[in-house]
Amino acid sequence: MDFILSQLAGFGGAFTALASDPLTYLYLIVSVFLGITFGALPGLTATLAVTILTGFFGNKIPLDYSLIALLGAYVGAIYGGSYPSILLNIPGTAASAATAMDGYPLAKAGRGGEALGLTTTASFIGTVIGTFVLLIFVWALLLISKNIASPEKALLALFGILLSGTLMSEDLVIKGWIAGLIGLAMAMVGLDPLLSEPRYTFGWSYLMSGFQVVPVLMGAFAVPQIIEGLRHVEAGKMAELTGRILPNMASIRRYLPTIGRSGVIGTGVGALPGVGEDVAGWVSYGVGKAVSKEGDKFGRGSLEGLLCSETANNACIGGALIPLLVLGIPGSPPAAALMGAFKINNVIPGPTIDPEIILRVVAILIMASLTMFLMGLFTARIFIKILRIPQTVFLPVVMVLTTIGSFSVGGGINDLYLMLGVGAVAYFMNLMKYPIAPLVIGVILGGLFDETFRRSLFLSDGDLSVFISRPGAAILVTLNILLILSQLPIVKRAFSRLKGVTA
Amino acid sequence: MDTASNTTVLRARDFWASLVLIALSLFFLWKTSAIPLWGGNRAGVSGTDWYNSAAIVPLFIFGGMLVLSIVLLVISVRSGGAQAALSAAGIGWDRAEAFRFSTIGLMLLAYVAGLVPRVDFILCSGLLITALIYGYYGGHARRAFIACIFVVAAGLFAFAAYPAQSQWNAHGDDWVTLVLWAALTLLVLQTSRSERGLRVIPVIAVLTPTILVCAMAFGFRQNVPARGGLSFKQIEYHYYVTLRPLWKD
Repeated sequence: MDFILSQLAGFGGAFTALASDPLTYLYLIVSVFLGITFGALPGLTATLAVTILTGFFGNKIPLDYSLIALLGAYVGAIYGGSYPSILLNIPGTAASAATAMDGYPLAKAGRGGEALGLTTTASFIGTVIGTFVLLIFVWALLLISKNIASPEKALLALFGILLSGTLMSEDLVIKGWIAGLIGLAMAMVGLDPLLSEPRYTFGWSYLMSGFQVVPVLMGAFAVPQIIEGLRHVEAGKMAELTGRILPNMASIRRYLPTIGRSGVIGTGVGALPGVGEDVAGWVSYGVGKAVSKEGDKFGRGSLEGLLCSETANNACIGGALIPLLVLGIPGSPPAAALMGAFKINNVIPGPTIDPEIILRVVAILIMASLTMFLMGLFTARIFIKILRIPQTVFLPVVMVLTTIGSFSVGGGINDLYLMLGVGAVAYFMNLMKYPIAPLVIGVILGGLFDETFRRSLFLSDGDLSVFISRPGAAILVTLNILLILSQLPIVKRAFSRLKGVTA
Repeated sequence: MDTASNTTVLRARDFWASLVLIALSLFFLWKTSAIPLWGGNRAGVSGTDWYNSAAIVPLFIFGGMLVLSIVLLVISVRSGGAQAALSAAGIGWDRAEAFRFSTIGLMLLAYVAGLVPRVDFILCSGLLITALIYGYYGGHARRAFIACIFVVAAGLFAFAAYPAQSQWNAHGDDWVTLVLWAALTLLVLQTSRSERGLRVIPVIAVLTPTILVCAMAFGFRQNVPARGGLSFKQIEYHYYVTLRPLWKD
């Protein structure tokens, strides 16, 4: 209990410091507004919002303000995706795909205002749940992570890439793993971290310092989105919004257990490396449908179904920041973009991170969720108007934003060539159903994997048992092997046979 | 497309993708062989032991990629990907989609490789925004083709006339881009008589890059592309000489 109280006291200090700075509000309002706008526009994603703002705010303003801008956009964008889901039946972001299942039928039934009010409240509560878990668990995990040495770090990085590849693949799991390996391969370019041996530079001096994170992020997330989105789409019929957008307290009270459960599920899924808000939303929706007494009403305008997905996808934000802050492994694609911002500010997330930064992140998340809640209730009609802008109009603007953002981080034209090259590769990967998140996580964690893997071998004189002799490493080796084995067809068949027998 | 034909298309594409991945893995394994694995002395550190080598992790990565690519090839062949690989239907060839991708790709290439390094950012971004909105708003293939010609012409001229970095400050390409932008805008305004939605293009095309470049240069004090460009040079001059003294003094 003392531990929790001391954490809350630390959070109180960070919150007061932020709240007493007028500039905090400026950055919060602007970033949450931009985030909701990005989320509300189908074709733009939360990852893209954080990536583009990293180009603008990443290293140009003090880290505190930069974090306000990026976290504000992250919270806003995840919430903003619910607008087109509810009113157009088109998810604004992948995270809100499950929201459309019940949100749109509700709006069609003339309960759009009620649905938006509940979504706003659920997103707010979800973010607060995720943030509270972050505040408590990050410290416990930080204490454990102090004992993590190179072998565990290497295996964790590998586990993050493998898990992300496994869970983010729409088609074959092997494609997710290949995407992760492509990312790792990209991270090998440049001088190696231990001996400064040049690798795959092809005599080009720009490549000596390796691929820069921000152009890779912009290329991987923005360029394919722009190419894919520049097509004529007949505007869907927007459901008429009736009623005031206010939180329905009776429904909130009634579904409080659902909100709590979805918050925990969302945070838990977020804490898995590389797994994003979309998975959190669907898992929570699936669990809700299975355990709820009203499960048969899911998909036909159920308030409970709506709360399941919306609470979970926002709770995922706090969860996704746990592995990022504790281990330096992003918990979701937007967290990977956030990691890029940390990197260009020379902050290394992981066991050695300044604890003050974690407290500030928690305080920022609470303030951002409050701002999102107020904006959702009082300025929702502005975002509804924004929904009418066709993507062929705003995507060219995004291209220009991406270009100047990418250029300004490194200050070189080569970064733009890199961005375009990565964008072309990512577009074709999208076309062939290769997930992009494992690639980006591979690029971000590749350096860590290379360094820690080789350092482990170096310190053990090449003895490979270093990866199983320590308890933590042994557990991680087992997890990695189990993850791979679980995807083998023969094991899958054995499992389904076993399931058949037990059923 | 139904699920079965979707899967056929995917497996046919997987067939080609796995071949490309196998070739790339082999190429990079060969490149990795140039990094000393046993012996050698690099950066003053003895590399006599295999575990010191900078090639260990890349070998693991490209070896893994080779194995996974072969597995993907086997999956694809078993699912009929090889049989469908050479048919247009098998790889999901769609002429309209190929045209759309090619025109967008060419415009982005001309913009990033030809225009941004050499031409004033406001002018080239204005041209790109105008071309992309005009070309793809409403889904008219002819408009996309015309828009593509405008951007590619500007990019090609800049690239061909001023290839070396020492020439990037010249203004000939700025003027050509400005003329092409103005011509395309006239076309847009003419079309906007029947399509009201297009009227907004010139406003977006002028305001967006101007606000962005000013915010980046004067707000965040960052470097911007083609700093000596035709219009930005004037803006920068008046910012420091005319405007800034107003609050600085």
